[in-house]
Amino acid sequence: MGLTHGQVFVYTLMTVISILFLFITNAYLFRMNFEDWNPVPIPSLLWVNTGSLILASVGMAWAKSGAKRSSVQTIKVGLIIGGLFAVTFVTGQTLAWQELSSSGYFLTVNPANTFFYLITALHAMHVIGGVAAWFYVAVKTFQQDQSILQPESIGLLGTYWHYMLLVWVLLFMLLLTT
Amino acid sequence: MEQGANYEGQPIHEPTGWWSRYVFSQDHKIIALQYITVALAIGLTGMFLSLMMRMQLGFPGLFESIDAGSYYQDVTMHGMIMVIYLLTALFLGGFGNYLIPLMLGSRDMAFPFVNMLSFWVYFLSVIILVSSFFVESGPTGAGWTLYPPQSILEGTPGGDGAGIILMLASLAVFIIAFTMGGLNYITTVLQSRAKGMTLMRMPLIIWCIFLATFLGLLAFPALLVGAIMLIFDRVLETSFFMPEIFKGGEVLDYGGGSPVLFQHLFWFFGHPEVYIIALPAFGIISELISCHARKNIFGYNMMVWALIAIAGIAFIVWAHHMYVAGMNPYLGFFFATTTLIIAIPTAIKVYNWVITLWDANIKMTVPMLYCLAFLITFLIGGLTGLFLGNVAVDVPLSDTYFVVGHFHMVMAVSPFLALYGGLYHWYPSVTGRMLDDTLGQIHFWITFVGTYLIYFPMHYIGFLGVPRRYYSNEQYDFIPQSVNDLNQFITICALIVGASQFILLYNFVVSLYKGKEAGPNPWGACTLEWQALESPPGHGNWGEKLPVVYRWPYDYGLPGATADFVPQNVPDEQIT
Repeated sequence: MGLTHGQVFVYTLMTVISILFLFITNAYLFRMNFEDWNPVPIPSLLWVNTGSLILASVGMAWAKSGAKRSSVQTIKVGLIIGGLFAVTFVTGQTLAWQELSSSGYFLTVNPANTFFYLITALHAMHVIGGVAAWFYVAVKTFQQDQSILQPESIGLLGTYWHYMLLVWVLLFMLLLTT
Repeated sequence: MEQGANYEGQPIHEPTGWWSRYVFSQDHKIIALQYITVALAIGLTGMFLSLMMRMQLGFPGLFESIDAGSYYQDVTMHGMIMVIYLLTALFLGGFGNYLIPLMLGSRDMAFPFVNMLSFWVYFLSVIILVSSFFVESGPTGAGWTLYPPQSILEGTPGGDGAGIILMLASLAVFIIAFTMGGLNYITTVLQSRAKGMTLMRMPLIIWCIFLATFLGLLAFPALLVGAIMLIFDRVLETSFFMPEIFKGGEVLDYGGGSPVLFQHLFWFFGHPEVYIIALPAFGIISELISCHARKNIFGYNMMVWALIAIAGIAFIVWAHHMYVAGMNPYLGFFFATTTLIIAIPTAIKVYNWVITLWDANIKMTVPMLYCLAFLITFLIGGLTGLFLGNVAVDVPLSDTYFVVGHFHMVMAVSPFLALYGGLYHWYPSVTGRMLDDTLGQIHFWITFVGTYLIYFPMHYIGFLGVPRRYYSNEQYDFIPQSVNDLNQFITICALIVGASQFILLYNFVVSLYKGKEAGPNPWGACTLEWQALESPPGHGNWGEKLPVVYRWPYDYGLPGATADFVPQNVPDEQIT
């Protein structure tokens, strides 16, 4: 099959996470048909956050390409962009929650609100998990200043970043269209 | 698939001290033992709770400490402990950890650190669960299915305190532990097999654990979502699952939610969970039956495809647990059909086991006794499943003792028989010593006959319409006195069977020091775990050189061979 241990691990993990979001989406679609459902106005900040996550993904793609070409500088720049914009995304999401709750859309007021907070929080937690792995790889990368720096780890991080972007785009579309 | 591409590079995490060797160990064998020890300890608690329930049913009012509330708490904790914290953890965390690397000719799991973390997170989940016994108003008494709205409302036994929150938190932590372990099992099976160990040369138990792990990884997220949403409903008073509720004439803050949504999430996990437990049991039986009947397993390929079919169909039968929840009749028809279809691959397995026994050189060892007992018990449990799988028959039998009898036969007694068979079979591999045979026979016969005396009568009680989950059967005209007499009989049997489990524990401890030396391969098995250089296998399992596999795992009675078995790592030219 030609896959590494890490690839099998991360691909299986992504399958499990997909199932998790599939269930929460199912529950969302089931619950929204009930009478008391009152859709949440989507904060415009989410568009900015989506942009952050796209930039994070681009940064990580850059790091991946650096790893392929053994360019230490590209790896480092890519990693920094990827990590920083992922953190920016999570921060942006918390700001969006604040914006919503300050306009009266508290978590408990309506099931649509609860789902909004729950879905975005679950996604943000998975991004944070990725950031923890990023931190580990980044520290190692900056400690060793030479040679090809962990191309496999960087490749897997990149894959996870793209995957998190994909999940977010799908969830965002769900929230926008319902 | 390219075999062995990584095996020479597999790292050996040689422990440096007592703590890293026995406590925070990254060795799969130690982690397996840790899983088994914790699972058996919490399992004993679960057994004790069931005996408390039996005391109340057999001798109502004998213990003043058992009131209706504590009875429901016992029921709830018994169910959850046995299904999740004992059987799932023991089969996958215990047997999975021990057998996967050894049987596949690998040095360890693919990610030993994550593997260690998996055990400690599991241990944390057990601690959280046990802590609920010590909080004010005790553990939750909502039934192991934790159905809302009852499970999170005050007034439910254990519902006033933190019991239900601790239960849900414990489940969430368990799922994290399982995911860490599961990702490891999948990666190890796909990546770390010895040279020559193709997928279709893997022992059936590895197939079973592999598929059960897949089931768990795909099913547990449903429970996780349900648990998180239920915590929200309880703590933040949201209304995912909570409908409008009047309590004492007052409207509660809840409204608009759907309790049935939780049932769907729960059973989407709950039914595959049955197979998460059953598949490893199937695997153990396949190994034991072939080895102790000295005959190759019949229809290996068919067995593998039947397992894959069972694992697939397990995901489209969940709503047969919800026939009485209010369901479109066409939907009921669909789920009844899929439920009955799953009998086909299951029957293939049972027939193949029976055909394996046909004309075989059956050794009546303790593991073989357990295999035979499993076949009969699983058959009976499966047949009563045909009753309950049909909507029209299920509706009147729903929530009666018939259901209790059925699911205990099929997913309590059967897995336990396989589990015990497995423990007797692999104990020599773990310790280098044999378990005492006489004690084993005594333990077997009491357990086997005793469990029949416990669960068989329950089917009759169920036919009489006696509801399950009732704290007391005394004040109902429709329940005759004979039911109470039968309940007394069942309770006495349960006490005897419960006490007899200590024979096994005694056997475990005594044989550790005084058991007969097992030697490297006491059962004459073909699989790799018995072919290690040292017995029991040392750290890294294989010394310097990894084994190479030349054949499938069931070469018993090969024509022309000098012995009646040929291990997987013996090439053709060395057979004679």
